[in-house]
Amino acid sequence: MKYWRETLAVAQRILIELLRRRRSLVFWTIFPVSILIINGFIVAERAQLSMAEAFEYAAPSTLVGAALFFSCLGGSVATVVAEREQQTLKRLFISPLSGTSYFLGIFVAHTCIGIGQTLLVYTIAAFWGAKFQGSILLGGVIILLSIISYVGVGFVLGTQFARRTEDVNALVAAFGVPLLILGGAFVPSFVFPKTLLDIAKFNPVYHMVKALSGVSDEGKKFADIELHFWFLYVFAILMVVAGWLSYRRMLSVERRL
Amino acid sequence: MLHIKRLSKSFGKRQVLQDLTLHVRPGEIYGLLGPNGAGKTTTINILCNLVKEDRGEITINKQPVSEATKSLIGVAPQENLLYKSLTCAENLDFFARIYGLSKQQRWEQVQVCLEAVNLVDRAKSPVETLSGGMKRRLNIAVALVHLPKLVILDEPTTGLDIEARYEIWELIRNLKKQGITVLLTTHLLDEAERLCDKIGIIKDGRIVVEGSLSALRELIPAQEVVVVQTRDEESAIARGKQLGFTHRRYGNDLAFWLPEPLELKEIIACFDGIAVDAIARSPVRLEHIYVEVTQG
Repeated sequence: MKYWRETLAVAQRILIELLRRRRSLVFWTIFPVSILIINGFIVAERAQLSMAEAFEYAAPSTLVGAALFFSCLGGSVATVVAEREQQTLKRLFISPLSGTSYFLGIFVAHTCIGIGQTLLVYTIAAFWGAKFQGSILLGGVIILLSIISYVGVGFVLGTQFARRTEDVNALVAAFGVPLLILGGAFVPSFVFPKTLLDIAKFNPVYHMVKALSGVSDEGKKFADIELHFWFLYVFAILMVVAGWLSYRRMLSVERRL
Repeated sequence: MLHIKRLSKSFGKRQVLQDLTLHVRPGEIYGLLGPNGAGKTTTINILCNLVKEDRGEITINKQPVSEATKSLIGVAPQENLLYKSLTCAENLDFFARIYGLSKQQRWEQVQVCLEAVNLVDRAKSPVETLSGGMKRRLNIAVALVHLPKLVILDEPTTGLDIEARYEIWELIRNLKKQGITVLLTTHLLDEAERLCDKIGIIKDGRIVVEGSLSALRELIPAQEVVVVQTRDEESAIARGKQLGFTHRRYGNDLAFWLPEPLELKEIIACFDGIAVDAIARSPVRLEHIYVEVTQG
């Protein structure tokens, strides 16, 4: 009950802060919408697909490869850094808030943002006639695992590498952009040369995109995307553990008034 | 309420606290004074269970310090640790929630605290729109929202203008009226003098003197302190010695301790023949005791 109460309090606070900073909310809306539309039109034109098929193809990579990356990873880095900068982290240290609740609170808040972006991306894709071909439940699990992974990585980066708000952009760009390109978020992975494709197979974003595209666009079953799913599953667990350890380390170093 | 017995803590080779002992009674305002690096913040960190002591006993409301005692303490740190884009009421509500207050209790406590710090009309204002004094008051309100038994105010008026300072002092006096125990750290001796029932001066990690202001005054064998402004300080000091006045320097001021109270004309007569520009007299103040204890 304590954890649940604290988790909800932290999540709600982050969401209220986000709503107050409307500009960020607008940018997080504009970004996936513009990427989806650009991707959709490029794919329709170059692959000679109907608009519905093109948007079915573009939606999963736009969502997990671009939208969730910046909101959940960039967002959790920004949350931790902002707490540090305005020193509210110290106030949380002296309160009975548990580290677990804090971690879960950030995760829940970003899950809500992720769900919002998912609805937005698929609503716009549906506007052009795209349909979710496979199991919505399986798609939902893949999206959830992607969010978990991103929040975990966000915690590692936010607690260990970003000291100030200015660091966030540089950090997300340095780690993120190459991973996104290599994951097939902007350029379809089938155009990659073999060497690059071999490297991409170690990139979690690639597996997120492949797993969700398989289910959403091609209507594949679990057995067909099993490899991508398990890669993502293990990665998500590893990132939660790494994020948690990083957070604990930050606590032990910074737990002072 | 708060008992600290022989508390010691070192960071590496640096001994920060050495057998620090202090006792704060319920409903008392205890002023913890001392120079920077004396160990005040480390003491607070240990009280908040953020740092583990090497040795010693600490009890708050008869309970040893642990995660459970965090709810007994309300801390207003030096900086205003508030969520800037949230409103005053939202900040209070968030922390009340973290401390486990029910929805009804939260609603009531938010109102009570806003009233206590005179911010009812700014309840819905985002923190970033408040003045420095208002932010500081809200910072204290956050420390009170979960009905703590002990409130720790770490330099609550540093950096505030005099009006805002008066408001905070009034707020602290009101806490005492409500029976809340306050541990106040400050560098403003005037503030400690006005507010504290008991004062402890910490130096090199231990309490060197402790007591009420009147008890601490006994430490200085003087009825009055006279500051003499003169271009011929050597002569003034020599005259003071002849008359049995101990002299001290408080910053640039040359001061003499008067063992007996004297009329102004008698004081002037004491320095007759010396080019004295001005004389200022005051009772023995905390500043004099503090300088004696920390620099003596």
